[in-house]
Amino acid sequence: MSIPTRWRRPLAGIAVAAAATLALAACSTGATAGSSSSASAPDKPVEGGDLTFLIQGYDAGFVSSKSSISSYEGNLWGEITDKLVYVDPKGTISPWIATSWDQSSDAKHFTLHLKKGVTFSDGEKLDAAAVVDNLNIWAKGDPSRGITKVGLFPGSTYVGAVATDDHTVTVDFSAPALGFIPTLGYHGTILLSPKTLALPLDQQADLTKEIGSGPYTVASVEQGEKYVLKKRADYEWGPKALGHTGPAYIDTITYKVIKDESVRTQAVTAGQAQVSFNVEPQEIDSLKSQGFTVDTPRYLGFTDGFQVNTTATPTSDPAVRQAIQIGIDRKAILKTVYTSDWQAATSFLQGNVPEVGDYSSLLAYDPDKAEKLLDAAGWTTGTDGIREKDGAPLEFSLSPNPYVPSTQAEDELIAQQLKKIGIKVDLKITDVSGYAAVAASHPPLYQTSRSFVDVGTVAGVLTSQNNGEDWFRLGTSDSKLDDLSTQIATASDETTRTKVADELQQYVLQQGYFIPTVQLVQRLYLIAPSVKGVSYNGLAYANFYSAWIAK
Amino acid sequence: MSADVLIRLPKSAPAARRRVGLSVPPTVLLSFAVLAVVLLWTLFPELFTSQSKVSGDTAEKLVGPSAAHWFGTDYLGRDLYSRVVHGTASSVTSALVAVLIGLVVGGLIGLVSGFLRGAVDVVLGRVVDVLLAIPGFLLAVVIVSSLGFHTINAAVATGITAVAAFARLMRAETLKTRKSTYVEASYLEGGSGLHVLFRHILPNAYKSVLALAVLNFGTSILVIASLAFLGYGDPPPASDWGLLVASGKTYPTAPWLVFAPAIVIVVTVLSINRISRWLRKAG
Amino acid sequence: MSDRTGARRGYLGYLLLRLAQAAIVILLAYVLIFVVVSVLPGDPVTNLLRDPQSGLTEADIHKIVVYYGLNQPVLIQLALSLSRFVVGQLGYSLQSNLPVTQVIGDAVPSTLVLAGTALLFSVVLALGIAYGSQYAPGARVRQTLRSVPSFFLSVPNFVIGLVLISFFSFRLHTFSVIDPDGLVATLFAALTLAIPVSAPLAEVFIANLDHESKQEYALVAKSRGLAPVALFARHLVKPSLLPAVTMVALIVGELLGGSVITETIYGRDGIGTVVQKAVTTQDVPVLQAVVSLAAVVFVLVNLLADLVSPLVDPRVEIRSPARASRAPRPSKPSKPARPSKPSQPPQPAQPSSQGASA
Repeated sequence: MSIPTRWRRPLAGIAVAAAATLALAACSTGATAGSSSSASAPDKPVEGGDLTFLIQGYDAGFVSSKSSISSYEGNLWGEITDKLVYVDPKGTISPWIATSWDQSSDAKHFTLHLKKGVTFSDGEKLDAAAVVDNLNIWAKGDPSRGITKVGLFPGSTYVGAVATDDHTVTVDFSAPALGFIPTLGYHGTILLSPKTLALPLDQQADLTKEIGSGPYTVASVEQGEKYVLKKRADYEWGPKALGHTGPAYIDTITYKVIKDESVRTQAVTAGQAQVSFNVEPQEIDSLKSQGFTVDTPRYLGFTDGFQVNTTATPTSDPAVRQAIQIGIDRKAILKTVYTSDWQAATSFLQGNVPEVGDYSSLLAYDPDKAEKLLDAAGWTTGTDGIREKDGAPLEFSLSPNPYVPSTQAEDELIAQQLKKIGIKVDLKITDVSGYAAVAASHPPLYQTSRSFVDVGTVAGVLTSQNNGEDWFRLGTSDSKLDDLSTQIATASDETTRTKVADELQQYVLQQGYFIPTVQLVQRLYLIAPSVKGVSYNGLAYANFYSAWIAK
Repeated sequence: MSADVLIRLPKSAPAARRRVGLSVPPTVLLSFAVLAVVLLWTLFPELFTSQSKVSGDTAEKLVGPSAAHWFGTDYLGRDLYSRVVHGTASSVTSALVAVLIGLVVGGLIGLVSGFLRGAVDVVLGRVVDVLLAIPGFLLAVVIVSSLGFHTINAAVATGITAVAAFARLMRAETLKTRKSTYVEASYLEGGSGLHVLFRHILPNAYKSVLALAVLNFGTSILVIASLAFLGYGDPPPASDWGLLVASGKTYPTAPWLVFAPAIVIVVTVLSINRISRWLRKAG
Repeated sequence: MSDRTGARRGYLGYLLLRLAQAAIVILLAYVLIFVVVSVLPGDPVTNLLRDPQSGLTEADIHKIVVYYGLNQPVLIQLALSLSRFVVGQLGYSLQSNLPVTQVIGDAVPSTLVLAGTALLFSVVLALGIAYGSQYAPGARVRQTLRSVPSFFLSVPNFVIGLVLISFFSFRLHTFSVIDPDGLVATLFAALTLAIPVSAPLAEVFIANLDHESKQEYALVAKSRGLAPVALFARHLVKPSLLPAVTMVALIVGELLGGSVITETIYGRDGIGTVVQKAVTTQDVPVLQAVVSLAAVVFVLVNLLADLVSPLVDPRVEIRSPARASRAPRPSKPSKPARPSKPSQPPQPAQPSSQGASA
């Protein structure tokens, strides 16, 4: 065969799964981070019940193949589809539809062994052929139908996938792809029926036509308002890591759109719904004291913060970027806007990403130094305290990230802080539906929230190489960044990659390309006391599959 | 829009004019007092607040009303009373700008219509009809979204929606005065149009126009607050009253963040409406 | 005999003239809105093009550009847009790519239910206040009731909504915000919308009652021991019919405008929400269509009111079209309609009084 030697590691995943099961068992005492603390020790799962989940919007279409996926879509997809692997909050990968996998020593060739007897909700088999169809779409999309690839999937080096028998798939890459297996646990790489994948774009956006193999199926849809899921009685292939593989306990899950955060919160406290997505952090203490659970799982990915447009005024000036980097008092943000459930950012990567480094010193609040930087760069203080250069004031507008409602208070505080060093920040508030236009206008600072499963995939956003998202609008002008991103994407062993990741983090922060604020909790869940056994995956999505409602 | 419908009504009973005395009811006095405070807040906000409106003590966030913080503090520890006081200028002056736009533009349209009549009246009449045909708040929303989300634009939008009312009133007043015998006489004596305008029309119209302006002032405060509530005014850290209510509702555990600015709005507009009613009665 | 045919011909001419005027006003309103929205900042289509999530191909974008004539001068765009509007083509949403007619069609029922209920509530509220202001026991109570409309006009719609929701839904559990289209939730939303609308109505009713109750026949009726309710019915309802008909148009405008706030607060998906979303996403075709249609509704209701008025009340005189003077209308729609002309003492059938007194 043309496939080189493989390094078999079928047992690795299973061992991990066992560990995760233990972790889940431990969660009933509330000891494990990322698992719900709502369950009290002797509770036994109860069958039945309906759960209402309040969420802020479903404006985006439900096409899973794209560069960024909203939390809302991710939550819903997580219940109606399965993934090849399961990723837990610590980034540990365990088997799911893929019961085991092999990887060649150069990390270019993979073999996936699939679980038998898995079916989509329309009765079609989830077999090797179906997995190949999914892999092809994730890697390449289908430009002729306007379907893009899945953003974080290592598509540029993807050679192809072959079904060697009904339950075995081999996947080849032209360069090392350490990120491949972890990315299979990402919320964009959901397994859909080949029939769904063959639909034209506009029909793929129709949730009722999205056929998955998950524990729930779509019962009814009122676009933009309400989505009802009902459980699949014949579901038998849940991830072992959750300690439950049979049908879900809860009968139906209703996702109901309520745009206003405080209305969502109060609806749950008034007993009108069981779960609400995103809560104002400053309300958490009071909610907890009323007996509600507020879970704040962190996802693997980027921290809360700003991707900086290096071509926009005034952030094209490195001094301005660096001044903002140290002109933000992150401790004050943590203390004022958030609670003790939040943690300081030490890099632009979340603290649970294994490759994260501690660059706190680069992020320490130092207004004096910031002012000196600006002075040296020729930004002099004008009459109103705002700096200016060549008659242009040091001013820009900033839109808080509507997907993370607490960023409004956060950015208001940042505006206060930056004003002290002579930078004027004008807040422009927009909601979820208007935020796409903000992104499209490439503002100087764009507040981002993006998760990933494997650090290698960050290469896909840093530059414009390989159709990258080019977050900093550098194109390929920064050769050092180009090099580092190529290296991190194509490293063939973990040690090398960790080293590259170190260098990359330091470089991006020093250049002020990315300005982190705090470690992001984008997905907050307010849960009524009656809901037990909720756990979270590594992307901070709740698994209601294994949860139940106490009678 | 126009309708050629006129109604002949029974003359109002003379009894209706019974109380035109100079006595000022206590509620009106109280209303004037409220407006005086609002005016002072507008002109000299610093005199009423010792605390900064833009930065607060972050350790003191979301503290309820107390002697130190009359209206409590907000989510960044800022004194809400200071924010309300400092937001007065923007909330009140923007409403004044709106009234002024309505008064000047509408007044001119009405005056010219009524004075020149004929084709000019017909054309201006259609302009007013069109302004009336679009539901006012929708028109304001469309205009402000077109001009950009700033309080001054909200004021302009609100002003434009008020044009029609002033135009109609002014036209009716002008027509009425023109027809009266003493104006006819003034013409006969060789008085110029301008003379008639300044000597008769404006002095006769000012009372009713003033009453409408005061009423419109109250309405404008509400409309601008509503636009601010929807986020169509200045963004934070501005502290327009409507915006304060909107951002306050995010914190259900701190109800004062909604109630304090809401009560200020209600009391202010109530006072203005009371004065408007009194003006109409006394007029 | 000849008198009657004359009157009939007069009415017919009046009808035709009013129809023509309504059509002109609608077209002009469309042009006005077009002018306002086409100076919107930013370029919605380019934003759409830049948005990688839209999934549109270059060809799709090109189609949109050609459809709206965006590559042509503004005047041609206007002509194109207006000619389509006249035949009912409203274009496509830039946000969802759905036909605007569908976007609006989906939202209309919800707003219709809300506005209809609110209309009913506002009339009932106004009648209640008016009745109480005349017949409630105790002068103090009556006086207080008289100032209720003024109070209603002083409370912003959003405050009413927030207070009602937090008290009735979250405290008393009277209704659930999860189901904003449910019966009780709809009633509360309608009440929120009705409160400010009821104020001008109540003032009209009160003014009418004040006037009528001073008439001799009322005193006579009273002395004959007619019950208050009967008096109320006779002296309020009949003379109020005409102003009420005229005010319907005004109220429709208020209800449409007020729906933006009310629907936002209650989370209802109606026309108001469509407007709000169109503003945030700069969805120009939707914004243009919704506001123009609101104007159409307003003009048509007004037209209907004007056409009905002469039939309802013989006191309404139809003037020959040649000497047409402008419609007596109480006040503008977006603001609390002051029934009476400000400078004068309470006038009974105020909405129409301005023209009449001239």
